[in-house]
Amino acid sequence: MNFRVMKTLIERELREHRALIWAPLITAIVIIGTAVLSSTVSGGLQVSIDGDSSDFMAMLSADGEHQRAVFSVWMAALVLPQMLIAMIVVFFYLLDSLYTERKDRSILFWKSMPVSDLQTVASKVLTGLVVVPLGVWALSLVTGLLVFLVASLKLAGTPLAPLAEFHVGAWFILQAVTLQNTVVASLWYAPIAGYLLVVSVYAKRNPFLWAVLPPLLLVIFENAAFDTSRVAGFLVSRMTEFFAAVSIRNTSSDAATGDALQSSITAAYDALGALELLARLDLWLGVVVAAVLVLLAARLRRWRDDA
Amino acid sequence: MSSVIRARDVRKSYGKGRTALAGVNFDVAAGRIVGLMGPNGAGKTTALKAMLGLTPFDGELSVLGRNPQRERDALMQDVCFIADVAVLPKWMRVEHTLDFVAGVHPRFDRARAEEVLAKTTIKLGSRVGQLSKGMITQLHLALIMAIDARLLILDEPTLGLDLLSRRALYETLLNDYFDHERTILITTHQVEEIENLLTDVLFIRDGQIVLDATVDSLSTRYAQLTVPRERLSDAVSLGPIFTREVFGVSALIYDTAKGAAPTREQLSVLGELRTPSIADLFVALMQPADTRAAS
Repeated sequence: MNFRVMKTLIERELREHRALIWAPLITAIVIIGTAVLSSTVSGGLQVSIDGDSSDFMAMLSADGEHQRAVFSVWMAALVLPQMLIAMIVVFFYLLDSLYTERKDRSILFWKSMPVSDLQTVASKVLTGLVVVPLGVWALSLVTGLLVFLVASLKLAGTPLAPLAEFHVGAWFILQAVTLQNTVVASLWYAPIAGYLLVVSVYAKRNPFLWAVLPPLLLVIFENAAFDTSRVAGFLVSRMTEFFAAVSIRNTSSDAATGDALQSSITAAYDALGALELLARLDLWLGVVVAAVLVLLAARLRRWRDDA
Repeated sequence: MSSVIRARDVRKSYGKGRTALAGVNFDVAAGRIVGLMGPNGAGKTTALKAMLGLTPFDGELSVLGRNPQRERDALMQDVCFIADVAVLPKWMRVEHTLDFVAGVHPRFDRARAEEVLAKTTIKLGSRVGQLSKGMITQLHLALIMAIDARLLILDEPTLGLDLLSRRALYETLLNDYFDHERTILITTHQVEEIENLLTDVLFIRDGQIVLDATVDSLSTRYAQLTVPRERLSDAVSLGPIFTREVFGVSALIYDTAKGAAPTREQLSVLGELRTPSIADLFVALMQPADTRAAS
């Protein structure tokens, strides 16, 4: 596939769907703004600057390793909302991407160019699953640094000052973990992306309803007819398991004793990576399904007759 | 050189019973300007879509030696297509349309497009949605003129344009685009507007080609006779294909290629004889078969 053509196609996607750029930027600004305005160290780590934190502080001062763990969990917690917003925006982008061109008839212009349907559909997949996620990863990296800068200025001179130490090694590891999570998320959600593209190319109107209603009706039907909820279980697990894999459980604010705190931070630190999903067969089956759906979307676009 | 477009028994039907193309045959040679004309629903747009690889069909169709069903992507390097003014994406800025075509089209000469645009009032920073219909057409034309293509297909290019923009479009096409090597295929309802520009006509009705002729040949084949009312019955007895009455004078069109057709000498004694305009011929040939037989 021609690199220059693909670059041009992806540029066009980003120009047409400005929300792909604006939504993550606004999210980052809100996160930084919250860090500036709030009285707590923002992020998943809800440590009040003035609150009672003697156990916590005792532990932190005693152990540099825990300082690093807290730092990592904190920085990682900042990334999650950015990923979530990006996923929502990409969801609507994919749903819209092959529908609007038919609605406004610009498809006749796109199709008057020597670009194949597969190239066009591929440009949308790459935008939604590679370009935007990598962009959001890079943005989250900058966001994290800025939030840290703000927080460390606030913490200077308070009892929580040890939190304001920047752990270079931990930071680099975290960025690698986040990047790896970004890749895993794209692979895990690829079949949903493929499904959205097929709906987008197929729907005569209202692609959102076309995307949401059939699975919903299937769930209701299954429940009424067989009194089971396998479809629902399957769909929910596909949608939530990535977040389950990366979510930070038992944040340190719940910890009452040093031991519990220690184990919960360690647990949270271990849970940052979604690498476990890569070992699962259903991730790779999903990738195969996604490839089939992308080919199907390209095939459907070939003869989509609207004018 | 072989035909630019070659159609043999091209068929297409939508669902049950609705036939858009019922076995279409024609050839278009290089360097021609062909008008594909027909009433609504005659199959014009379907024929264009088939040529552009936008719709599947049965039969044999080759465009620049390629099969449009299988080789659309490659074909579009040599074929340009303007559907109508509505298809340039409204959210795009003018300069980005240039960027886009430059990025995907190997035969696009950006400098040439900018040169053409410089002669217009279109600003590079404007969004397509802010331009008037006439300006959007100018922009599309600027893009097309900078592509070194061999076949240009225009589908109702003047729809919704004012008279000045329509004139400008066709003048630009003739003066700056057409070079006697390129081929242009135009569909339109507004036959009068393009009849001076065409070298060939293809009339399509009910999915079939009813006339495939060069414009030059029309004057030898068809004759239009104007007669006063008292000579009408004589004129009708000679078997016109179409009769029309305006202000008490009747105009009859004869097809001299028909078996029992009258000679020009026979006709000229009855009244004034001339070559029918393409618009008159279009009306004559597009009459439903039963009313033509009655006239």
